[in-house]
Amino acid sequence: MASQTPAVVMDNGTGYSKLGFAGNDSPSFVFPTAIATKAAGGASAGRPPVGNKPGFLAGGGATGSHLSAKRGTEDLDFFIGDEALSAANGPGYGINYPIRHGQIENWDHMERFWSNSIFKYLRVEPEDHYFLLTEPPLNPPENRENTAEIMFESFNCAGLYIAVQAVLALAASWTSSKVTDRSLTGTVIDSGDGVTHVIPVAEGYVIGSSIKSIPIAGRDITYFVQSLLRDRGEPDSSLKTAEKVKEEYCYVCPDIVKEFARYDREPDRFLNHTVSAPNGRSVSIDVGYERFLAPEIFFNPEIYSSDFLTPLPNVVDGVIQSSPIDVRRGLYKNIVLSGGSTLYKDFGRRLQRDIRHLVDARIRASEARSGGAKSGGLDVAVVTHKRQRHGPWFGGSLLGQTPEFRSYCHTKAEYDEIGPSIVRRFALLGGPGSS
Amino acid sequence: MLLLDYHNVLIHSLLTERFSGAPPVSIDQIVSDFDGVTFHLSTPESKTKILISLNVKCFRELVQYGAQQVLEREYGPYIVDPEPGYDFSVLIDLENLPAEQEVRDDLIMRLALMKRNAMAAPFERAFDEFAKLSEEASRYTTESAPQGVKEGGEVMAVHYREEEAIYIKASHDRVTVIFSTVFREETDRIFGKVFLQEFVDARRRVLTLQNAPQVLFRNDPPLELAGVPGLQNANDGTTSYVTFVLFPRHLAPQRRYENISHIQIFRDYFHYHIKASKAYIHTRMRKRTADFLQVLNRARPENEEREKKTASGRTFRVQG
Repeated sequence: MASQTPAVVMDNGTGYSKLGFAGNDSPSFVFPTAIATKAAGGASAGRPPVGNKPGFLAGGGATGSHLSAKRGTEDLDFFIGDEALSAANGPGYGINYPIRHGQIENWDHMERFWSNSIFKYLRVEPEDHYFLLTEPPLNPPENRENTAEIMFESFNCAGLYIAVQAVLALAASWTSSKVTDRSLTGTVIDSGDGVTHVIPVAEGYVIGSSIKSIPIAGRDITYFVQSLLRDRGEPDSSLKTAEKVKEEYCYVCPDIVKEFARYDREPDRFLNHTVSAPNGRSVSIDVGYERFLAPEIFFNPEIYSSDFLTPLPNVVDGVIQSSPIDVRRGLYKNIVLSGGSTLYKDFGRRLQRDIRHLVDARIRASEARSGGAKSGGLDVAVVTHKRQRHGPWFGGSLLGQTPEFRSYCHTKAEYDEIGPSIVRRFALLGGPGSS
Repeated sequence: MLLLDYHNVLIHSLLTERFSGAPPVSIDQIVSDFDGVTFHLSTPESKTKILISLNVKCFRELVQYGAQQVLEREYGPYIVDPEPGYDFSVLIDLENLPAEQEVRDDLIMRLALMKRNAMAAPFERAFDEFAKLSEEASRYTTESAPQGVKEGGEVMAVHYREEEAIYIKASHDRVTVIFSTVFREETDRIFGKVFLQEFVDARRRVLTLQNAPQVLFRNDPPLELAGVPGLQNANDGTTSYVTFVLFPRHLAPQRRYENISHIQIFRDYFHYHIKASKAYIHTRMRKRTADFLQVLNRARPENEEREKKTASGRTFRVQG
């Protein structure tokens, strides 16, 4: 009997929220972390107008025209996810993004976002389920406490575990055939929509002082594709088209100069992309060099931006070099990709090659300096796997279905006993000692 | 928004995608629904055959009240032997779908409503019983009615959750549906009490709600439940009973379907709203805290930073 209810795994990111149940291989829902509230309430969202009486007609709904029915229920008038985006296009609603830079900024909106995602989308009674939430690295403990307050006091959820996204991304890479030992040591390259992080993790703990972020991520690639389309004067160069082109045609090339030459030799590498407008018309645009130029901004940022010029491989190398010396070998050996902007074909291979060049050059230099000593060499491996896109979510699903998951959670009873500070510490899930 | 759907959103969207002719992929998903209901969607044999299994806590009780017939009526040709660990399974062959789009949409919707349909059985039975009883009763006057007709049928109990149950009882002029609810949390209990009290009063206060079913709320078991085994101890204060009285106008055949859906989801709505109320109160508490902090910040002594001079003897003016 499936007597235990599956744990709910929620990964709320800046751009998208991934919701689902532990044990599944993909999230049940992926939608923008957006909430549309009444535009008038947008400014005073902190305090919805208060009626004299509680909104006892809240459940009625049917009596929409009734004046008193409208009183005091503004706080319930909102949409989340894709519905929020479409509602915001119409009149009366303003859109809000409660998460900025991975961290929750607006707790009022987030609380409502959660309540709606739990009840309307996942359709679970939170009292019956354990929850696994994610947080970005370097999330302040106060945010954790706020999260726990909402989860336990508003929703009375049975148990809660908050995991760091980077650690979950490492766990997700265990599905790759290349990974033999299930270690929680490695470097995570997490590239989403807004920002790319390089996060070193040693035995399940994030090395906070060495984290580096790069202001180049999915959105920048889209902008770059768009600018290329604009420069050529394509008939359609909207952001949406650029995004489609990016997702469908882009790949990483080993050498940018040779790739240009190859395109000139083989004209069939130029493709056409058909954009069908909602009114039935469709236009065809050419897709050319941007196929390999767009992801190239990770490796040669100077072609896109003038203020950030360090290529991704150098950043990764720098991050590992700044980590404690005894974990560097493990960090080089297990570089894990995660997030939508790492899905380009051959992204991992190029990254591995470039980092290896850097490492080998350094080893040769130090060999020469030492005068004859031989280095045993250093193993650099970039792990690509099938679950990259929703890496942290999948890692959560993987760990959430293990039988011992519940013993790692803090339960409602423990919360009541100790208070919000209980969530400052969690036992390391999936670490040594667990299966 | 405010309203919860009756169907399972995930099953609906998943099947819509599969039915639309997208390339077949293998599925293995566990989906949860309210009240501990679990679905399992999988493609055990081939990618085009989707097996949907349902696990309900009180399936045995539901079968007693005719769930099998209801499910057979809804999913007749698709039913297969239940998957081990689950109570009921249907198998959909994607290569063998109805051709018309409307029929397909209808099938998707029916599958997404599987939980609702399974739970609907006792309600349907009660409504049928009501129809029978009222017909019988119409032959008697109030005085001459024999005992059996007056009392109505047996009480059907559906223990759909660990500690909570729905009791349904049909009689000749109404159908009574009683929910027993338990609150594990002190705060929730108070919210629930206020909420239910308002629920009862709202009907009296607002004219447009006069047609709604009558709602009663009390802390001890209602008289209808006298003699039902397994009732919680009445006076410990944790269990409350919400009674809905459905009158003949709610039981008309054309409204039956919708009313069953409405009443089934009552508990989920109830808890959803308690949580939404809490969220609302938290919002106000946060706002108030921010206000107080502002006041505190304003209360700094004013004359602290005056008369600062640079080396050349010039002063900066303090803005604002």
